[in-house]
Amino acid sequence: MIRLQKLVKTFDGHPVLNGIDMEINEGEIIVIIGPSGTGKSTLLRCLNFLEQPDSGLISIDGDTVDAARAGQKAVLKLRRNTSFVFQNYALFANKTAAQNIAEGLITVWGKSRADALAEAHQILADIGLADKADSYPAALSGGQQQRVGIGRAMASHSKVMLFDEPTSALDPEWVEEVLQLMKKLAQRKQTMLVVTHEMSFARDVADRVVFMEGGRIVEQGPPEQLFSNPTDPRTREFLRKVLRD
Amino acid sequence: MLKSLRNAAVALTLTLATQGAMATETVKVGMSGTYFPFTFVKKDQLQGFEVDVWNEVAKRNDYSVEFVTSNFSGLFGLLESGRIDTISNQITITDARKARYLFADAYVVDGAQVVTRKGSDIKGLADLKGKTVAVNLGSNYEQLLRANDVNNEITIKTYDTGIEQELMLGRIDAFVMDRVSSAQLIKEHNLPFVQAGGTFETIENAWPLLNNAKGEKLQAELNRALIAMRADGTLATISKKWFDADITAK
Amino acid sequence: MNFDVTYFLEMIPLLLGYLGLTMKMASLGLVFALILAVNMAVVRVLKIPLLDWLVQLFISFFRGTPLLVQLFLLYYGLPQMFPVMVGIDAFSAAVIGLSLHFSAYMAESIRAAILGIDKSQMEAALSIGQSPLMAMRRIILPQAARIALPSLMNQFVDMIKSTSLAFTLGVAELMARAQMEASSSFRFFECFLAVALIYWAVVVIFTQLQNRLEKHLNRAYQR
Repeated sequence: MIRLQKLVKTFDGHPVLNGIDMEINEGEIIVIIGPSGTGKSTLLRCLNFLEQPDSGLISIDGDTVDAARAGQKAVLKLRRNTSFVFQNYALFANKTAAQNIAEGLITVWGKSRADALAEAHQILADIGLADKADSYPAALSGGQQQRVGIGRAMASHSKVMLFDEPTSALDPEWVEEVLQLMKKLAQRKQTMLVVTHEMSFARDVADRVVFMEGGRIVEQGPPEQLFSNPTDPRTREFLRKVLRD
Repeated sequence: MLKSLRNAAVALTLTLATQGAMATETVKVGMSGTYFPFTFVKKDQLQGFEVDVWNEVAKRNDYSVEFVTSNFSGLFGLLESGRIDTISNQITITDARKARYLFADAYVVDGAQVVTRKGSDIKGLADLKGKTVAVNLGSNYEQLLRANDVNNEITIKTYDTGIEQELMLGRIDAFVMDRVSSAQLIKEHNLPFVQAGGTFETIENAWPLLNNAKGEKLQAELNRALIAMRADGTLATISKKWFDADITAK
Repeated sequence: MNFDVTYFLEMIPLLLGYLGLTMKMASLGLVFALILAVNMAVVRVLKIPLLDWLVQLFISFFRGTPLLVQLFLLYYGLPQMFPVMVGIDAFSAAVIGLSLHFSAYMAESIRAAILGIDKSQMEAALSIGQSPLMAMRRIILPQAARIALPSLMNQFVDMIKSTSLAFTLGVAELMARAQMEASSSFRFFECFLAVALIYWAVVVIFTQLQNRLEKHLNRAYQR
């Protein structure tokens, strides 16, 4: 459904992505793990064009664009097909929970205000925050904010939801409710690409785990294989460290 | 028949057009509104010597006069950009101004006057050495003072407004203003000032006009009116009303 | 000390009659300045090629030269170069001058406010598919307004007071009237005290409005 070929991204001449090839199939839940600063978040951000790749090809449903020369139209298409959940939630501070979810429906998908808000209320009920519809982000807990952030991503009915360390900034008290919501989405076969340090989530929920280091994909496979039988020494070393903690 | 009708129509149109041209012409006159008693506002009413003279000129020339008040420093800009036709604010005829503008004949003949506090040791122009003397911004008194101050011994300050206040407060030792308005000022407000010595430059004040066809036309019309107003004593009467003296006599 | 109370009390209603003209200049100036300033701030933040450069030049000039000089250039200078511009009357010229001058300051305040907003707000808006301009309009500017309000209000107060320069173009507004009355009565203290109190009262009223507006804009940020 989405295919990346030789994706390269550098910051100030310093390579962050060293030619990533990846395929994301419909309904697949992919978890990307790896040490900090290895380009996991950058990969996600390139998929949403929050960063422009230096080179490489991105295909959506067989429609291929040269990432380095993507025009407005291609960028918008990519963004409509992917939705993003931010580490720091990034809810629109000037809008209520319901308005946060409705915003894209009104301005990007052309729905009427009333329809968009009705759909926003449905999503809020779905994520268990119906009573917070009229609350502004500042009045919500971290966990509630991140669930609204996910609700906002759900609203665009995009093909792939991109999660950029969605629980890393959370008070441990709130991590579980966010993971529960993500599991709920996984059960519905929502295609997801998740960067996380939650190894239990990777093991329990992922269809495929990708280990990245130094801007490359080192190893990937089903969780049971990667966790119990990693082939690359770097993967073994990483897992030994994180699983001991 | 048709032809004669048409001729009549053409004749009629021509007559109307000529009459139209003869009818009231609007002349815009700029003044500061802050130069007592020449041009000032009291209880929202613009009045003064300049206003009276122009109302008389308007009557004689069939003008409709529109007074435009502006800060003094903006008046020449208004004239230069054609937004007013002339300035009536005791504009002194100078060589520099004459090079650029047409002037109507002088309507006020006056002189520069040193004014100081009562009891001051300043008795005239010669005593100004080492003193602080004020002039109004945009006036030509600064140049006059400089010309009489070859060794640069006078401190000259320029003010936009409030020059009298400064003398009252003692921030300056004297100011230079034209004779008549300073006399008027002292008398009207019972200020503790005296005129020190005689006038040291005779100056002629007149209305500057743009150097173009309209300026030339106005110059001729204004001069004609001035000559008549001098001859029948109107100009002197207006002067006496405001100054108890004839400041218009040559 | 001889303060003429009667004269002072007469001056206040007389001068208040010209407050309308002053406020008309200031409020028209505010509207145009804000429109210009918001657009210039957006151009600068989004670094739109060429336009960004022009805006920088504009801001540099209008902040770098005195308002009085700009008014003179506009009203007296330009008509010498372009005779059609004589058609602009003094009131319009004053409003244009005030708008241009203060838009430069306001643009910088708004730009600073925009830059003060977390980068992720823009990214979140882009991620749901909004264009940068739409994100500015719907997400960033409403938040920036709250941050910029105090400094924008300062500039508006400054603009109200700067309308007094319009007398130099021949607009007989509040300050001009006080000057003209004072020049005939020589009651400077009474006249200028009256005019000072009027300006002050206006600014106090606007400060009250600002407080209310701030409360309104802060409602989204209460825990």
